[in-house]
Amino acid sequence: MRSRPVKYYLILVCVVSGLIVSAAAQAAEPIVIGVPTSLGFLEGKESHKVVQMAVSEINAKGGVTLGGQKRILEVSSMDIRDAAPGVPVPEALLGIEKNILEKKPAGIVVGPFRSEALVAAMDLISKYKTPLIGTIAMTPASEAKVKEEPEKYKYVFRNCLNAVYLVKYLVGTMEAINKEFGFTKVYIMHQDVAWARATADGVKKSYFEKAGWEVMEQEAYPTGTSDFSSALMKARSKGAQVIMPIFDMPQSGTLVKQWKSMNVPALMTGFISPLAGTDAWKSFDGKIGGAINCVFEMGSAIASDKLPKSVEFYNKYKKIYGKELQAGHGPAPAYESVYILAEAIERAGSLDPEAIVAELKKTDRMGIMGRIRFDAGNQVIYGFDPKETAVAAVFQWTDDGKRRIVFPEALADSKIQLPKGLKSAK
Amino acid sequence: MLLGTIIYGLLNSAVLAVMAIGFNLTFGISGVANFAYGAMYIFSAYLSWTLFNLLDWPYGLAVSASISATMALGALMYRFVLLRVRGQALSEVIATFGIGLAILELFHYLGFVGFEYTLPVLIDDGIMIGDTMVDWQRILITGVAGLLVTGLWAFTHYTRLGLAFRGIAQDERTALTLGIESDRIAMISVSLGCGLAALAATVIIPLGSISPSEGYEVLIKALAVCIIGGLGSTGGVIVASFLIGFAERFTDTYVSSHWTMIVSLAAILLVLGFKPSGLFGRQKELEERI
Repeated sequence: MRSRPVKYYLILVCVVSGLIVSAAAQAAEPIVIGVPTSLGFLEGKESHKVVQMAVSEINAKGGVTLGGQKRILEVSSMDIRDAAPGVPVPEALLGIEKNILEKKPAGIVVGPFRSEALVAAMDLISKYKTPLIGTIAMTPASEAKVKEEPEKYKYVFRNCLNAVYLVKYLVGTMEAINKEFGFTKVYIMHQDVAWARATADGVKKSYFEKAGWEVMEQEAYPTGTSDFSSALMKARSKGAQVIMPIFDMPQSGTLVKQWKSMNVPALMTGFISPLAGTDAWKSFDGKIGGAINCVFEMGSAIASDKLPKSVEFYNKYKKIYGKELQAGHGPAPAYESVYILAEAIERAGSLDPEAIVAELKKTDRMGIMGRIRFDAGNQVIYGFDPKETAVAAVFQWTDDGKRRIVFPEALADSKIQLPKGLKSAK
Repeated sequence: MLLGTIIYGLLNSAVLAVMAIGFNLTFGISGVANFAYGAMYIFSAYLSWTLFNLLDWPYGLAVSASISATMALGALMYRFVLLRVRGQALSEVIATFGIGLAILELFHYLGFVGFEYTLPVLIDDGIMIGDTMVDWQRILITGVAGLLVTGLWAFTHYTRLGLAFRGIAQDERTALTLGIESDRIAMISVSLGCGLAALAATVIIPLGSISPSEGYEVLIKALAVCIIGGLGSTGGVIVASFLIGFAERFTDTYVSSHWTMIVSLAAILLVLGFKPSGLFGRQKELEERI
C-alpha cells in the first residue's frame, strides 16, 4: 500500500525531468547541414568525411554562436547516387528534396555530383530557399543561371573549381609543355558529361586552335566505359604527342593502365580522378610514372609547403581517418564550405536564408585552398596565386612514385619530365 | 590502323566469348536465363579482391576460392529460389534479376566503388604485332576463350555428366525416363554457369576495374551475344562474339567511341526483328516457321 505514492512520485519526476531535458534540447536545437551527394563515390565519400571533420572541430569549440547562444552543428547526409551510370536526374532531385523537407537544413554543402543534377536542382534550391555551397559539380551553366536571374538563384554557390578555371589550368600546363618540348599534336579523350565536354571544348577553342596545335581527334566516352584500347591505338598511329584525358569515373584509371601496357609514346596530361591520390601508385602497380594530373583544389589529395594550411588539413585528415585523402576534387572545398557557412550564419545572426546568403556573398577567407571570395555568379574565384585567389595544382607522377607539383609556378616544386621513350620535339 | 583494329577486334571477340559462355551454358541446359549472371561476375571479382588484398591470401588460392564460392552461390540460388519457379520463364527472369540487383546494390551500399578495386594482370608485358602493341593479358583471354570452347565441347561429348547435360538440353522428359535427374543437372548447370562468370571475371577484370555498374554491362553483353548467336547455341556464341567484337572495335576506330555501347543493343534489336531465335538458335525456329 505504501509503495503506490512512491511509484507515482517517481513517474512524475521522470515526466518532469523529461520535459525539462526536451525543452533544453529544443532551446539549443542543432543547426543541420545537409550533404546530399553521391556518397558511394570517392569524391562524395571523402567530402562527406571532411564535412564531419569540420563540424566536429566547430562543435568542439561549442558550436556556432547564434543570438548569443552556442548551437552545435549536425550533419544530415543522403546518397543521391547521381554519379552512378544510368541514375536519372529526377531520382537525384528526389533525394535532395527529401533531405530538405525532412531535415530542414540551414544550408547544404557538397551537393550534386553531376553538373546535370546541379543545374536541374537549382529550381528546387530556389523553391525551398536553402543556401547551397556546391563543391563537386563543375559546369559553368549554373553560374550563368545565377547571373541571368540573380534574385531567383542567389542561393546557389560553388566553392570548387569550375570547368572555366580548369580550362585555364590545363591551358597553362599545355603552354608549358609546348614551350619546353615543342609538342603540338594532341588527342583529346573525355567523359560524355557536361563538365568534361565543356572543359575539352574550352581547351580546344581557347588554346589548341589559337596556338596552332593539331587536334588529332576528340572523343567522348559514356560514363562507365572501361576499354580505351582503340583510342590509344589511334593516338599512337596518328602520332599524338600529348593525350588530354578528362574523366571523373573510377573506370578511367583503366586508361592509364592501358596507356602504359600499350606503350603509347605520348604525354598523358589532363584529369583522371583515380590518379590524384597516393593510393594510385599501388593500385596501378607503379605504372603511372610520367602521367600529369590536375588536382582541382589545393588540399584535396595533395598539399604544398607553400600553403601551410593545406598541409595542416591534409595531415589532420590522415590522423583522424588513418589514411591520406585520395580524391583530387571535393574534400578541400567541402571542408571550407562548412566554415564559410558557419561564419555566414554567425555574421547573419539568424538562420534566415536571405540573411545567410547575403553574408555568404561577403565571404573573404584565407583557407586551405588559398583566398576564398565569390564572384557575381557565386563562383569561387580561382587564379594562380594563393594569396589572391583559390588555387588548384597540376602535378606529375615520377618514376619512383612521388608526386611533384609542376603548375602553377607559385606552387611548383619541379619541372615537367618526359616519360621514358618519349622525346622532345625541340 | 586497320591491322590494329582487326587485332583488337579479335581480342575483343575473345573477351565477349569468355563473358557470355557461362550464361549460354546455363540457358542451353536448364533453360534458365540467369539474369544474376553479371552480379555473379562482380561477386567473384570482389571476393577475389578481398581475399587477396585484405586477407593476404595467395592470388591463386583467392581466385580458386572465389570461383568455388560463386559456384556454390549459384547452386544455392537454384536450390532455394529457382527450383520453386522452374519452368515459369518470367518468374525465373524476375527472380534471378532480383537476386542480381540485390547483390550489386549491396556492394554499392557497402562502398565498394573506387579505382582501387581491381585484380592484377597475370603476365605484365606485351608484344608488338606490326605497329600494334598487344598486352599478354588479352592474349591470355583469347587462349582461355579457345580452351573454354574446346573444353566444354569435350565435356559435353565425352563425360557422363556432360552427356547428361546434353540429354536434358535435348529432351528433359526423355532424359528423366533414362534416370537423369533433371533438377540436379539444372542446378549443376546454373552453378557451372556462375563458375564460368567467375572465371571470366578473373581474366577480364585485370584489364579494367571492379564496379557494381560493370555487372549490368556484363549482363547486357552476355545477353547480346547469346541472343544474336541464338540462346543455347555454343557455335552461335562464337559467331556472335566475333560479330559484336569486330563491330565494336570498328565503330570505335572509324565512327566514334560514343556509339560503341549502342552496337550491342542495336544488334539485339535487329536480330529480334528479323530472326527472333538468333543466328543459330533452334529454340523457337519451328514456332517462327509456323
